[in-house]
Parts: sequence; C-alpha cells; structure tokens
Amino acid sequence: MSMFLAQAQDTIPTKTSLERTKIVGEIPEVPKQVTKKTDLIPKTDTIVPVKKDRYGVRVGVDLYKLTRGLYDGNYKGIELVGDYRLTKKYYLAAELGSEDKKTEDDRLNTNTKGTYIKAGFDYNAYENWLDMENIISIGLRGGFSTFSQRLNSYKIYNAYPYWGEMPWNPSGEEFNGLTASWIEVVTGVKVKVINNIFVGFSLRLNVLITDKKPSDNFENLYIPGFNRTYAGNFGVGFNYTITYFVPLYKKTVKPKEK
Amino acid sequence: MKKIFIVLLIAFSFSSCEKDDICDANTRTTPRLVIEFYDVSNPSVLKNVTDLKVIGEGKTEGIIFNNAANDSKYVTNGSTISIPLKTDATTSTYSFILNSRNPNPTFIDSDKVTFNYTTKDVFVSRACGFKTLFILDPLNPYTQTAIPSTKLKWMQFISVEKSNIDNEDETHIKVFF
Repeated sequence: MSMFLAQAQDTIPTKTSLERTKIVGEIPEVPKQVTKKTDLIPKTDTIVPVKKDRYGVRVGVDLYKLTRGLYDGNYKGIELVGDYRLTKKYYLAAELGSEDKKTEDDRLNTNTKGTYIKAGFDYNAYENWLDMENIISIGLRGGFSTFSQRLNSYKIYNAYPYWGEMPWNPSGEEFNGLTASWIEVVTGVKVKVINNIFVGFSLRLNVLITDKKPSDNFENLYIPGFNRTYAGNFGVGFNYTITYFVPLYKKTVKPKEK
Repeated sequence: MKKIFIVLLIAFSFSSCEKDDICDANTRTTPRLVIEFYDVSNPSVLKNVTDLKVIGEGKTEGIIFNNAANDSKYVTNGSTISIPLKTDATTSTYSFILNSRNPNPTFIDSDKVTFNYTTKDVFVSRACGFKTLFILDPLNPYTQTAIPSTKLKWMQFISVEKSNIDNEDETHIKVFF
C-alpha cells in the first residue's frame, strides 16, 4: 500500500490495481513499466521533484482563550502552544497557560485562578504531497496545574422550602495551593495558510489522575487547563491556534522503494 | 483516520452532557426534623395523632403532609412527621394543633414549641450546592408552651433522641401524649 502511495506521487496513476499487481509479479523493474504505460497521456513534467521535509519549532497562541476575555467578563486566560518536529511523523508538543475564571452555577459561585503545563507528543497521520506541511494528528499529553479556588457565595438546597427560598450566602472562603494532574488524548488539525503561518484546532478528552481537594467540605469545580470537572474524572477541551513555524533544517525524503 | 473519528465522536458525546446541573431528588440534602408520636401510657407503642396540623410561626398555612388537593393536605393522622427547620436562623417555632378539624374549639389542643439549634453548611455537589445540618442545643433543645397557657400541654413529654440532625433516616424527637 505504501509503495502505491509513493508511486502515486511520482507518476500519474492510470492503471487498475489488477494490472499493476500482474506487472509486479512478472518484472522487478516496476518504475520503467509505469513510464512506458503512461506514454499515451501527454505529459508536461516527467522529472520527479526532490522532496524535502522541513524540521523546526512551531510556536503560537490559542485564539479562543485570547479572544474569550473580550466578550466573557468572567474569563481571562492565555495559552501558548508549541511543538518541535522530532521525526517525519512525530512531534514533541506542549501547551503553557494561565486562566482566571469565575464559574456561576445554579447554587455555587466560584473563582478559579492558576497556571498549567501540558507536554507530550503528536503523531501526524496525514500523508503530505510534495512540499505540503499539513497535519492531522493524534497525540497524548500529560497535564499539571497549580491553582487556587475561592468560594464567592453559595445556596442551600432545601427540598422543602416551607420557610421560603433562601438567598445566596456570601462566603469568600479561599483555598490555595491546589494541584491537579491529568492525561489528555488530543486530535488536531494544522493547516499552512501562508508561508510559515499555520492555523489549527484540536479537541481533547481529559482524564483526571490526581486532584487535591480544597477541603473535606468542598471540591474543585474548575481546573485551569483541564476545564470543568465532571463526575467520573472526565473532562473535555479544545483550542483554536495560530502558530508560526521556525524552520531549523531540512531532510530529504527518501522514497521507500529504493 | 478511523481512530481519529472515534476519538472525535467520544469528545462530542461528552460535550453534550454539559447540563448535569440538576440536583438528583435522591441526594441527601438539608434534612427535616423527624418527630415520632408515642402513647404516654405505653411508651414503647407508636400512637397516631388525630388531625394534627403544624404551622410555623408567622405563617398562615400549615406544613404540607400529603398530596391531597384540598385542605386535608395540611393535616396528618399518622405517627411520624417531618418538619423543615429554618436554615438561616437558630430557632424555629411551630404550633402543633391536635384535633385541628374538630368543630368544637374546646377539643382543639395547641402547643407551641420552639427548637433551638446551631447550623452547619456542608457542601453536597455542583448541582445541589450546600445543605444545612442542625445540632439541637444540648442544654435547651426546645421550649414548649400550651396555647392558651391556662390549658394543659397535650404533648406531655418531649424527648430528644438525636441532637445531630444529619439525615431523615432516624427519629430525632419523640413526643409522648
């Protein structure tokens, strides 16, 4: 299969796979046969371009977090993203962020403030043609956050409000030195728009590993980087990034058939 | 690519459960005060009350005891009642009116009881918020007067069984009459 793909980039595939397997079975010199067969179609370029992969560092920012502060008065946050190309398919990837979020639930009003780091890798599952550098990736991250949480106010749940519905109780209790760690499965897309500028988005499924609770009498309702907590340790996230690629060196792509 | 789509699918299915903000009715939230009525001449035997109505001080309507459509929802003829305490105060006062539907006022007995307690707010969950637990004052858990005070108290003896009111599974107060 991979041989077909490599050839498909070099030549114009005109034959059915049935014909091709027949040729491969008989004659070892496959490329020669291919050029002969395609002679029927007028060709403009028979030179196989030398394919070079660029290696380097990509740095950028999460536009969603950056712009959310403009329309959501309860949120301030920033996330820097970056990756480094290790091999043809693998990238080291990391996100570094800071969030300050007010959460207004039906009976709880809390503030969460803190920073986080996520580090791991992306695997590019996309087969690029020629000098394309797009990425459709699946990856893993380990995430860690240190943060504080403040309980602004709360409501008492009373199933029998004979004495009337109770108003919000002010609290102001602050919980410092909280930490959490988690694992993320990331799927993402990055597309080169111009030169070295890429735009992309990613979706994340998070599983909480450790969660230092504020006290016996409270829990973390939001964790910077992990986002809202759900029962069962799962969480979700996404980002929408714009990144700049800093090329460091090039590597010639060796066709696999040779 | 298939793997990616599966993960995306999972991610989207999780994002759809954003609204889990409804407090489950089975969650243990703010408990009510559970009172059981016993026969004063035979203290181990439960005794049903007759048309008992309980009205909180300053309220015109009684505590609802059943799902009846008419005014009979305010009266009970059982041997156990659960009454909600004020979560924003340290005392709650009720009038316990026995034979409340008797046409002859002389047969209607009314006792006024004030429960004295301290409160503690405990976190339950994101959806339920907090609940209030109560601890009856160990020295002076209640004060009781007959209305009018010239009459005898129909609740002849009130016994505090559990001063920590954490849930509704146990009886907190026993009343003998």
